[in-house]
Amino acid sequence: MPFKLLAFSVLSSCSGSVRGSAFVVRRSHQPLRNPEPRTSNFEPNVNTNREERTQNRERQLSRQLIALVTVAVATLAACTAAAPGAPESSGIPRAADGKPDFTGIWAGPGFAHTGKDTDTATVRRYTEANMPLKPGAKELLYRKYTGNVRIDDPTAVCLPNGLTRQIPSPYAQQWIQTPTQLVILYEYMHFFRVIPIGAPNRPHATDIEPTYMGDSIAWWEDDTLVIDTIGLNEWLLDAYHPEDGSSRWHSDKMHVVERLRFSDATNASYDVTIDDPVIFEKPWVEQWAMQLKPNWKLLEFICDDNDRCRTGNCTEADVQKSAAK
Amino acid sequence: MKIAGAIALAALAISPVSAHHSFSTEYDRTKPVSVTGVVRKVEWKNPHIWFYVDVKDARGRVTTWGFSGAPPSFLMRQGIPRDAMKVGDMVKVDGFRARDGSNNASGGRVTFADGRSVFTASPEDVRPD
Repeated sequence: MPFKLLAFSVLSSCSGSVRGSAFVVRRSHQPLRNPEPRTSNFEPNVNTNREERTQNRERQLSRQLIALVTVAVATLAACTAAAPGAPESSGIPRAADGKPDFTGIWAGPGFAHTGKDTDTATVRRYTEANMPLKPGAKELLYRKYTGNVRIDDPTAVCLPNGLTRQIPSPYAQQWIQTPTQLVILYEYMHFFRVIPIGAPNRPHATDIEPTYMGDSIAWWEDDTLVIDTIGLNEWLLDAYHPEDGSSRWHSDKMHVVERLRFSDATNASYDVTIDDPVIFEKPWVEQWAMQLKPNWKLLEFICDDNDRCRTGNCTEADVQKSAAK
Repeated sequence: MKIAGAIALAALAISPVSAHHSFSTEYDRTKPVSVTGVVRKVEWKNPHIWFYVDVKDARGRVTTWGFSGAPPSFLMRQGIPRDAMKVGDMVKVDGFRARDGSNNASGGRVTFADGRSVFTASPEDVRPD
């Protein structure tokens, strides 16, 4: 039957995207405005009088109407439940403006995600195999310890970790999204980013003073949030500090692009593209993830507090001073 | 130690974590230390917890050792309660001494009187075998 064919085409058009769902709604309503004309043209009973034919046709149209409404409702439900953008749009949080809503407390890439309230903090480092080093640039990336901790591991004296090390820091982060801004509050060292959301690929400001977190701007590419950052200090790339006594660095020409996309209601992929023309031949991507933790809250983190053995020179605690007995 | 705390601490024994800075800037992995004594104080503070253990020598003199552990947030988010280690607990602590040679160390592993052995240090830190 024609309306069955229509119903099939409606169900087939449930592509899983939000746009697909909207399209389905429009198509499912079309038959209601243009009821099936061909059915009466092929009425087999030539002996039926005009009144009977009219009644039959009304009953038939009524049945078709009910069937089509049912199909439309079922289709809508199926498209919604089966996750538009399957799986990326399925039940993901959305803001009032229809964009995916990243507002919430996240266990960033610096955790082994469990899906529960307890996650294991895990320091992630960028994967060496991903890095297309320029010839002769290995010494720019790997720098031997100098003996000065401010250079070798600045976080040991509570200096900032920098953007590329903050992204996978094993501490919570809270995201607050509005239509025009994204604010990220990092628990680690109380860092923050206030990132304007606007037109794709728009230029950064021209008078950027290099900083530890750089100048970030954001935009949407469909349901993907893109954060583009330049203006970064020459600083440590990540928390690489093995016993061989070296650390990994990036230059002040580094360009970082973060791409965030919900994979389901509580998980998001977190791709970080690193483009540092001083060290790497071409941009490369680290693929990470983050997970919403609605029952977490940001904790206070005062780096200077109780850092008793800074640089290996310990301060005697009160209980130790009074211990000689 | 309550059972819940024991389970939580046991979970910590197999979990990896990292400190806010490199281990080697503060501690010397070539200088392991092992002491047994009574917990005198626990500081559940950033950037790392500290706990102090009174250790009595053969002559009866008491030395208070300070041990650094993981950041409080790491422990909390693994379900480790702040009262997992209590003042008065008898513990054996294995770790590595601070670079200045003082009675301070990373508290890599804590063994309670009932035999439970747990890590309180960041997993990325150097740990005793």
